[in-house]
Amino acid sequence: MSGFLDGIRCGDCECNVDWGERRNTIASIAAGVLFFTGWWIIIDAAVKYPDEGTFHHAYHTCGVIATVAFLMINAVSNGQVRGDSYSEGCIGQTGARVWLFLGFMLAFGSLIASMWILFGGFVVPRKSCLSVFCGAIFLILSSFLLIRGLVFKFGRTEDLWQ
Amino acid sequence: MQQASGRDDAHADRCGVRTVRAGNTRMVQASQRTVEEGGGSCVSSFCPGEMAGIKALISLSFGGAIGLMFLMLGCALPVYDKYWPLFLLFFYILSPIPYCISRRVVDDTDSASNACKELAIFLTTGIVISAFGLPIVFARAEVIAWGACALVLTGNVVIFGTILGFFLVFGSNDDFSWQQW
Repeated sequence: MSGFLDGIRCGDCECNVDWGERRNTIASIAAGVLFFTGWWIIIDAAVKYPDEGTFHHAYHTCGVIATVAFLMINAVSNGQVRGDSYSEGCIGQTGARVWLFLGFMLAFGSLIASMWILFGGFVVPRKSCLSVFCGAIFLILSSFLLIRGLVFKFGRTEDLWQ
Repeated sequence: MQQASGRDDAHADRCGVRTVRAGNTRMVQASQRTVEEGGGSCVSSFCPGEMAGIKALISLSFGGAIGLMFLMLGCALPVYDKYWPLFLLFFYILSPIPYCISRRVVDDTDSASNACKELAIFLTTGIVISAFGLPIVFARAEVIAWGACALVLTGNVVIFGTILGFFLVFGSNDDFSWQQW
């Protein structure tokens, strides 16, 4: 009776086995879940509030630009930006860096635009579908941030910009 | 010796299993052992490894039938009677394709194959999420009833569990070929 909690161990599990391989798979699954859930929330908002007054159709551009940025960022691998891959590709290492820079700029721009739309278009006029919209934008943007952050973090240990 | 061959003949007549009639006693006994190991019924000519594969196949096909039954119940019950959820069949068929393509195209462990595999996993996750999202959007837009949505989501879970089980049981060999059946 006196030692019945001795058998409980926290953090002693062997789930660190093959963690390097599983990390990428789990990151892909998590990014996929977030990205597509965000898009389905946008589709749901567009279906529920089809008129222009409650849900401006121009607000869709946030999601589209975020998707384009996601594709641009993930098209470039770490190796091409660092310059240690075998082939240089079409635009070389500097081109890869410029591409990545533009991709991140589009992504952060759509994040800022979504915050602006959230506060300017929904919170201040007290519209009803704000929760739906903000959830969608956050999910899309967090998905690409997640996948790119994980790819950067779990890459090699040398610095990215040398 | 005489009774053993008599039992062999009766077994062969019942199940159509042909045991090799050899001259010495040892070969007859070995073939009898193989026949009895396999379960003693008409599938007794298979080895035990294939037996486990066939059991898994049968249970997976049962799971698939149950999932499709839930989908059809969600569409065809007289209280619902809306056939919009049949669009989910499109997602069911699409869902194994990215992973199969990535398994076929690359078979090394360099970084390009990992990127291809991760892209396939990303797309597969997207297809699964879309298959869950579509009935919910239908139900929120009042195209189908929420009860039908619940039935269809249950069918989703069963079918994706079946597809996952299929890949876990049958997809884990190195050369992914279709001749294993």
